[in-house]
Amino acid sequence: MERHGSAIPDAGNAKLNLGDIFDKYRGNFYTLFVLMVLLIIWNFAASRIQNTLLLPYLSETAMEFFTAWTDPVIMSNLGLTLKRVITGFLYAYVIGVPLGLLMGYSATAMQSLAPVMNSIRQIPIMAWVPLSIIWFGLGDGPTVFLIAMSAIFPLVINTIAGVQGIDPNYYNAARSMGASKLDIVRDIVVPGAMPHILTGCRLAMGAGWMSVICAEFIATSAGFGFLMVEAQVRLETAQLYALMIMSGLVGYAIDKVFIAVERKMTSWRFKDGFVGS
Amino acid sequence: MALLEVKEISKTFTQKKKPAHIVLENMSFNVEQGQYVSLLGPSGCGKTTLLTMLGGFMLPDAGQIYLAGKKVEGPGPDRGFVFQNYALFPWMTVKENILYSLKVQNFSKKEREQRLQELLDISHLHGSENKYPIQLSGGMQQRVAVVRALASRPEILLLDEPLGAIDFQMRELLQEELAALVEETKTTVVMVTHDVNESVYLSDRVIVMSANKGRIIQDVYIDLPRPRSRQSKAFKEYVSELTDLVRQAFREGESERRDDIPFRHRGVDNIFVASYNRMHSKYTNVANGRSRAAK
Repeated sequence: MERHGSAIPDAGNAKLNLGDIFDKYRGNFYTLFVLMVLLIIWNFAASRIQNTLLLPYLSETAMEFFTAWTDPVIMSNLGLTLKRVITGFLYAYVIGVPLGLLMGYSATAMQSLAPVMNSIRQIPIMAWVPLSIIWFGLGDGPTVFLIAMSAIFPLVINTIAGVQGIDPNYYNAARSMGASKLDIVRDIVVPGAMPHILTGCRLAMGAGWMSVICAEFIATSAGFGFLMVEAQVRLETAQLYALMIMSGLVGYAIDKVFIAVERKMTSWRFKDGFVGS
Repeated sequence: MALLEVKEISKTFTQKKKPAHIVLENMSFNVEQGQYVSLLGPSGCGKTTLLTMLGGFMLPDAGQIYLAGKKVEGPGPDRGFVFQNYALFPWMTVKENILYSLKVQNFSKKEREQRLQELLDISHLHGSENKYPIQLSGGMQQRVAVVRALASRPEILLLDEPLGAIDFQMRELLQEELAALVEETKTTVVMVTHDVNESVYLSDRVIVMSANKGRIIQDVYIDLPRPRSRQSKAFKEYVSELTDLVRQAFREGESERRDDIPFRHRGVDNIFVASYNRMHSKYTNVANGRSRAAK
């Protein structure tokens, strides 16, 4: 807006801009503050306990943490783990999304599959470990299987919710415009369920990332989880802490990537200035 | 031969543990080419059920509906349907929404582009074709919904309370826009409404339906020049005449309920219809998919 005529607005605008900047970074500011408080508490506790095996000093952990990012062994293991997660996630996606679409769209499919699926879903993910080792041996096989297993249910359930949440009049509208069954699946069911499918992806990826670390404790002799066990066995607690923080950060980064993908793929939801989580 | 022929159609909704609810019984009427017909009546009179059957989303238990001599047996692009909440696809742009019927019917790219320009012209939506529905005002959404329904040149346009969710001040303005749009395209229209004023302003003919089995109480021809003035004496006379008829239609429903339906079900026929529709497949839900899309 043009505001030349008056003497006051200039000063007013300058002030407003400063406020805008503060508002823009307010969230980051608070995050930083909470982080600082946590670190101070940590260091205080470490100095009281005085046992680096239980709780290493902040400086020691930080050292481990920063060297870890350039350590080829750690990085190659992290890469291996990420590869497993992505593979497992893709299996879950390829099976889970069509299954969810089918169950959401067809009452018959729902009635026949839901009881079985809901029962299998209740089996704790770690209970699959022994069986997956019998099936796939040690190595990539059981880890990928466990990731897929823990990722598939959030995907299926969210996809079902997505399809069921579609306004029935969208189907009616499409049919009255001459759309075939295939058109309806492609143009109504899939895009209509997409927001939920992408939420499912986020949850699935999170579940996969969590279960891969556990799976690697037991079923393999390589990977990020395996490094943690090694650090524990060698009593290198500081490194263990560093690895745990890394796994948290990597998971966080993956989630951020998915949020970006979500915004890109369903941009139509964000056009009116609404900000999603 | 009339363009639309409704021949003795009946529809009954049955539900477990509840008495059967006769929504329409032996209803017949014709609509001529180019006519704008309103179905007016209190809620629960079966007007939306009737429109849903004209759309082909639901079939009558008895009787037939013919459009241009062809029996209606399902939804199809020969009828353009405008839903109460517009049901614009939120993941498609205005352009994609408007051209959807041409796309699924495999019209060539050139034809589509040409038709788009025509439709943008009549709806004054130039410059908004790449926006998403969420970015449009209520009035613009309505225009998109109407031209989307008109895109494949249907024989008839079916409007389900197109202005039901819009506030009073806005509604009169949108009625004017709608009248202009329909006049320009010379389309035959059947519109469901419970707003007497709206029906008089827009229609050539108003069919007043009773809450008792959808009986046609009166078929009123609105003989007023267009564009219509809401202030004219004749307009007000039509409004008061129809208001009386709607009141009568409502009372008939009351007495019917007292006669046939146990006390605990009195006055709930609206809910009755709604829950029936919710139970029976997503395709019959035209009546009750309230403004979820408008969010």
